[in-house]
Order: sequence, then C-alpha cells, then structure tokens
Amino acid sequence: MAPVAGIGLRAPHLAAIERDRPTTAFLEIHAENYLTPSPARDAVERLRRDYTLSVHAVGLSLGSADGLDEAHLDRVARLVDRLQPAYVSDHLSWSSVGGRYFNDLLPLPYTEEALGVVVRNVTRLQERLGRRVAIENPSCYLAFAQSTLSEPEFLSQVARRSGCGLLLDVNNLYVTACNLRLDPQAWLKALPAEAITEYHLAGHAVNDAGGQPILIDDHASRVDPAVWSLFGEAVGRFGPRPTLIEWDADIPALEVLLDEAACADRLLAERRPHDARAA
Amino acid sequence: MTLALRDLQAAMAAYLASGDGTGLAGAVAGDSIPADARLRIHRHHLHESLATALTTTFPTVRQLVGEAFFRAMARAFVAANLPAQPVLSEYGEGFAAFIDGYDRARGLPYLGDVARLDWALNVAFHNPWQSRLTAPDLATIPAEQLPAARIGLAPGTTVIRSAHPIDRIWAASQPGASSATVDLDAGGTCLLVFRQHDDSGFVALRAGEAAFASSLLAGASLEDAAFAAFAVDPGFDLSVVFRRLLDLTVFVALQQ
Repeated sequence: MAPVAGIGLRAPHLAAIERDRPTTAFLEIHAENYLTPSPARDAVERLRRDYTLSVHAVGLSLGSADGLDEAHLDRVARLVDRLQPAYVSDHLSWSSVGGRYFNDLLPLPYTEEALGVVVRNVTRLQERLGRRVAIENPSCYLAFAQSTLSEPEFLSQVARRSGCGLLLDVNNLYVTACNLRLDPQAWLKALPAEAITEYHLAGHAVNDAGGQPILIDDHASRVDPAVWSLFGEAVGRFGPRPTLIEWDADIPALEVLLDEAACADRLLAERRPHDARAA
Repeated sequence: MTLALRDLQAAMAAYLASGDGTGLAGAVAGDSIPADARLRIHRHHLHESLATALTTTFPTVRQLVGEAFFRAMARAFVAANLPAQPVLSEYGEGFAAFIDGYDRARGLPYLGDVARLDWALNVAFHNPWQSRLTAPDLATIPAEQLPAARIGLAPGTTVIRSAHPIDRIWAASQPGASSATVDLDAGGTCLLVFRQHDDSGFVALRAGEAAFASSLLAGASLEDAAFAAFAVDPGFDLSVVFRRLLDLTVFVALQQ
C-alpha cells in the first residue's frame, strides 16, 4: 500500500529533505510561515514539483465574530494559488478581535450564534480560494458554560452547512477529552464519516493546572500510545485518510518524523472499517 | 449569563492582554480545575509563544544576553505590544527601540543596535530573490546615460548605522565563533543588509559607500548618489564602489 501519512515540513529539515528526497505521502506547511518570500519559500516551491503539499493555516480566525481579515485572506489565497496544494485547512477556533491578533487557537462557545459565524467565515474562505477546505477540531482547555451543542455536533453542522471537510486531529481529541472529561468514543460516534478528509497526529505534554493534571497540545514529542489507540479506533470507524505527523517544538531528526509516519501507515494498513463493526 | 460572541471575544481579549478576567466571570465552566486555571493556560501560551517568536527573529540578542534575560525582556515587550496580524516573522519591529529603553539592559548600550541588525536581517530574509544586475546587463546602458540612471537595490535592503561595532559583536556571537574579545570602544559601523540567494547577510560600508547606498535606496540617480557620497568622503571612488556592489549582487536587474 502506498504511504498515506505525511509529515509537517519544518525549517530545520528543509535542507535534508531537499538533499535526500525521503519518501512521504505529503509535506504540510503552516501557511503563515510562507506568506512572505524567503529562501525557505523558494525551497518549498522547488519541493512542490516532487511532493504533494498541504497548506495548513493557523491564523485565519474562522471563529471571529468580526468576520475574516480580508487582507490576510488575500495573502493566504495567493500562497495557495502559488503552491497548488492537495489540501488546505485551518481550525475551529478564533484568534482575532477588534484588530488585535492573539497567537493562539482560542476556544469558541458552541452556540447557534457561533455556528452561524463559523459557517459564514468558512463559506467566505472556500469562496475566496475556490475550493473546499478542511476544519480541524481544536485542543480544548476550557468549555464555555453557554454552549448548547457538543463539539462533534458543532463540527458536523459546520461541515453540513458550509460543505467543508473535517480534519480529525486525534491528539487534539484525546487532549480535549481528558481536559473536559469527555468520552472520546462517544465524540467519534457523533461525527459523519463522509465529512472526514484528513487526520492529524502529534505529541502532547502533561502539565499541572490548579493541582490537577491537564494535557497540553505542544507538538513536542512522539505520539502518545493512547493517541495511537484512539487513532486506530478512528481509522476503524471512518477508514483511511491522508494522515499527518506534526512536530513543532523540540524538533528531532527528520528520521524520527518519518518513523512516526511509518507507524501511522502500518496502522492505516492494518485497521479497516469492518474491524470496528466486528469489535 | 449568555454573552454575544463578539462580547465574549472582546472579554477574552481583555483578559489575555491584561490578565483582567472580570468580563469572563461565570462564562467558563469550572470543575475540579477552576475556570481561572483553565483560562491561564491560554494567557501563558499567548505570551510565551510570542516570546519564542522573538527568540527566532532576534537570535543574536538572545545569544548575547542568554535565555533567562532574553525571555524576561521579550515578555515585557509582548505584554505591551500584542501583534495586529498573524505572521510571526513580521512581529517585533519595535523590539529594538524597546530594548533602548529597557532599564535592565542599560549596561549594554549596543544591544538595541544589535536588535536593529537582527531585524534588518529578518526583513531582508523575507524579501524575494529576484534577478539581480550583472556586469553584462550593465554594459547595455550607454555610458552617457549612466549618470542619470536609477539602479535600485534589492527589495529588503537597508543601511544600518551604529555607534558600536555591531558587525564584530554579531560575528563573535555566531555558533563556532572564536572566543576573541570584541573591543566595544572600537568605534561605530555602517552596514548594508540584504537578501542573498539562500540567506540574508551584511557587509560593512565606509561612510561614502553608506551615503551612496542610502541615496540609491531613496531613489536617487547614480550621479546624485555619487555626489552624496563625495560630500561625506572626498576619497569616494565610484567605479570601485559600484564594482563592489555589483559583485555583492545587491543591484536589482534593469527594468526592461
């Protein structure tokens, strides 16, 4: 089976990837790191001849009540036009209000009002790019008391109303489930399989919050065994999809990322949708 | 209590910026982990991730003062200067001026100018490598038209003037640099910072060269730039300087 797992392209690995041309299903870049010209963007433009690309945005702020920042949207659209990636995605979160930008994926209240805002912003994004995008479930550290929908209900509605795909970040689901005391299996059951277009996998850390453990989505280690297990369940339920290994801090040798991607590929080959139904 | 989304986001923004969470009272569900501990995770991440972004953009400053000092200084800057947009390489323009006024850095009078150099290298890095002027291109301009010709410097090029030897401080801060000390009283320097093919870099300029480059950056003709250079350095040799800049591939190609 051809690999379906790719890796996040990070600056320390650029030279090695250009030189050694390792086999990987795709390379994913963070849009906001490549909006300006640079030697790194020149390298990505060379790599796109040989690799499938994914453009993952972190700053579109799809949950902003203010609407999208059209100037930023234009820059992302120009990058997507330049690189012609196979996949484009951002998060179910917000990071901007009143012209200020908060460098974080901030949580939304899951209300009908917020749903309307996200659907409007995702629709605008897809209209501007002229293509379908995928929306990723965030890592949550808190929930708003006013939420009336569950996160998977909210995501399903965003997908249904805007036509977007869903990027299931299995580590984020695990982190959210632990931090908000949710049942990840029930969460998975509430998602429509046909809307899921990608998976993300990454490492997390365990920190202390008011004397209690809280998981932090820091992308600074290997995928946790519990997350691999949850990934297996997701693949069993939804089937294989393009899968990404993300690593953003304490970045190890390229071989470690490729090894994690190989683990994901083995799991994707082993687990078939019928496994879940038989279990 | 149900807040409209815009109001909830404004209240969250006020908390993230100032630590004042009164606008969010009751909005966040608490359990065995209290709401304020949950909110603090976001405030901590915001401030630390921006301080980390400054570490990437100002590596020489970070190398000179060490991690603990740098992070304290970066956090103080972040607290007063949250970004307006999400491109981190464009965040930190005011950091050099902030360092000039940072009380704990008063004993390091060159630090702000080192930050200016780091920033200029960052700006040059994030500019396009477009085709550059070569000697054969230049030969296509009739000699009598050269004085009035306007030959631009590559996008992102800047001239930095400092009363401190920041080029030698920069060189001594690079990985693998010799441990030779830098004479901080060695006098000032003028630097031309520009995008190279695979990186950004700089060269030291004499006063006349700096005046020449600054004039070209301001859009002057070769003749006017040469006059500006002669005014500060009577020994300015246009042909030598022109050759040097041509060899550095810092002139942009002629408009066809």
